[in-house]
Amino acid sequence: MKIKLNKCLYRYSLFLEKLGKSKKNMGTSYIYKRDASRLFIAMRENGKRYKIYIPKESKPVINGQEEDIDFLEQEDFHYTFDWKGKCFHCELVSRDQNKAVIKVNGVEYKFSLESLFSYIRHGMIDKDGKQINENNIVAPMPGKIVDIFLSEGDLVNEGEPILSLEAMKMQNEISANCNGVIRKIRVQSGQSVMKDELLVEINSIDE
Amino acid sequence: MKKRLLIANRSEIAIRIIRAARKQGMLAVVFQSDREPDALYLNYADEIIPARDAGNDKPIFLDPERIVNLALENNIDLIHPGYGFLSENPDFAQLCVDNGLNFIGPSPQLIRDMGLKTVAKSMAIKSGLPLVPGSDGPVTDAQAAKAFAVKIGYPVILKASAGGGGRGMRIVEKPETIERNFKSASDEALAAFGNGDMFIEKYLQNPKHLEFQIMGDKHGNVVHLGERECSLQRKHQKILEEAPSASVTPAMRKEMGDMAVRFAKSIGYYSAGTIEFIMDEDGSYYFMEMNTRIQVEHPVTEMITGVDMVDWQIRVALDEKLTLKQEDIHIKGWAIECRVNTEDPQNRFSPQTGFIDKIHFPHSKEIRIETGVQSGSVVTPYFDSMIAKIIVHGTDRADVIEKTLAALYDFSLIGLKTTVPFCRTVLQHPEFVNATYTTRWVDSVFTPEMLENDEDEMIGALAATIMYASEYLQLSSDLPTYKNDSLNVWVLNKRLNY
Repeated sequence: MKIKLNKCLYRYSLFLEKLGKSKKNMGTSYIYKRDASRLFIAMRENGKRYKIYIPKESKPVINGQEEDIDFLEQEDFHYTFDWKGKCFHCELVSRDQNKAVIKVNGVEYKFSLESLFSYIRHGMIDKDGKQINENNIVAPMPGKIVDIFLSEGDLVNEGEPILSLEAMKMQNEISANCNGVIRKIRVQSGQSVMKDELLVEINSIDE
Repeated sequence: MKKRLLIANRSEIAIRIIRAARKQGMLAVVFQSDREPDALYLNYADEIIPARDAGNDKPIFLDPERIVNLALENNIDLIHPGYGFLSENPDFAQLCVDNGLNFIGPSPQLIRDMGLKTVAKSMAIKSGLPLVPGSDGPVTDAQAAKAFAVKIGYPVILKASAGGGGRGMRIVEKPETIERNFKSASDEALAAFGNGDMFIEKYLQNPKHLEFQIMGDKHGNVVHLGERECSLQRKHQKILEEAPSASVTPAMRKEMGDMAVRFAKSIGYYSAGTIEFIMDEDGSYYFMEMNTRIQVEHPVTEMITGVDMVDWQIRVALDEKLTLKQEDIHIKGWAIECRVNTEDPQNRFSPQTGFIDKIHFPHSKEIRIETGVQSGSVVTPYFDSMIAKIIVHGTDRADVIEKTLAALYDFSLIGLKTTVPFCRTVLQHPEFVNATYTTRWVDSVFTPEMLENDEDEMIGALAATIMYASEYLQLSSDLPTYKNDSLNVWVLNKRLNY
């Protein structure tokens, strides 16, 4: 028991360190904000995927990385972006349901677009290979749920605390083990849990 | 009274010739074709002759009688044919001469001679130009072909003398297969053309296309303005040209240039002309043909020599003596021309027609733009797909490649696809950068996937997502709680779509 607790403390301290680092690097603690409806997946025919999060403010996040992209010009079906000091002229060529052909600097690229929810839904139906992972978070030790920070349907970052578990007079923050969307929270605030009891289910968006 | 110069052409070359006419203090007159009544070049002309060619099966530019009749009605002094259309039609040149119109170009007889390959080749032999080694006449049988092949070396190409369209044609790599190929090609030719006669010629596997620009007057003076390399072709049409060529050393330039001048003098050539050579991988070169017109790619030569070639064409037509001396012509720096064709390089260069919503050209001291269109122009299916040329000058080859690439990134056209992304791909390809590219590059190296790159793809994904998201979020969002400070474009985009 003693060993396990130490392990847990160790993990917790690691997490704090990580949190501090990410704060330093990005200015904000986490790249994804709560609003899962702002995360989209653009997929090319060749299978290449772009997970694009469009925040209300600040820059877009593409495949987990905030990109310093600016709008230069915008018309109905035509955008001009500035990225790394280069100009990108984009023009919508055609659009059919969730498929779009975009011309970028004169070359066409075809994408099929999905919201995070339809992406996860398809992933679950899709039996072959590229299935969306489900990650379960279980209680590392017996204890009591003190607080739950997030809700079902929220977008969560890897390492971001989801809930707080009190054990042996110590509060441990239990954090997400992947980037994804919270599918189900199995516990309530104030509830006591056993070791290895299921706490949270996450639909991972990591490959 | 000002002389009146009629341009029997359209688009960018019409505008180019208008500039040259003005330089000579002439009035520039153009035709307005009913097939493109709002063309850009019309804005630049001093006078416009309505061609009323809507009901005719060919546009005015291909109608010699109508051109000459309208020229006479409009008191025209000189006619410039530009390139393409009737520029190398000896009957048209003759018709102009017969009607007292000054045709800007060489004599009708020279156009006729150079237009006939066999005549041009025999004239070239006389002045010592090398020709691709081959049989002078048909070879009698497979054994004779085999013997000849040993003499000129493999690979060889067997061509039916009556052939065309690839029929009765065989490329033979080694002696073991020549008899079989000779028989099948000969049989094929006999069946298709009723004539089984076969020629044999050395086959160049990876040739380069080089051409020397010459300029001559009616007093026997001829100079050459160096070479251009036009190896980059698709469907036998040039798409990107450079001058000079990295494959030509100064010694070769002198040798080939002198040869071109000697040939032009021997046939009494005057006006602008181009002598085309094909160069093998070992550096040996052979005469192909002579073009008797101003060429699309003439600006690269103008940029490196400073010679105004269209101006000289007009002056030569007015019997002026060439004041250019060979020793005064020096090559300064390097130039590249990219043709902007409305074609889809992602789809076998299929032509694109329609509206040009918006077009933007790069600007700089080193960039010359020749365009026949502007924002709002229409690209019709009646004429060819070249709408503009972007010509860039640099201090050396590496410099001009870099500048051209930057210029092409600064070009944008909304509405149609163009060959510009293709040119960007070419400029970045190792075989172009190290100048080993040949006329086979498009067929053997190029794939449409080469046009794509990761940065463009990612930005494309972002653009597609924004378009999709703005609709999606409309349905699901917690409606407008925007403050004035939230002028963030990602938000603005969403708001604009309400």
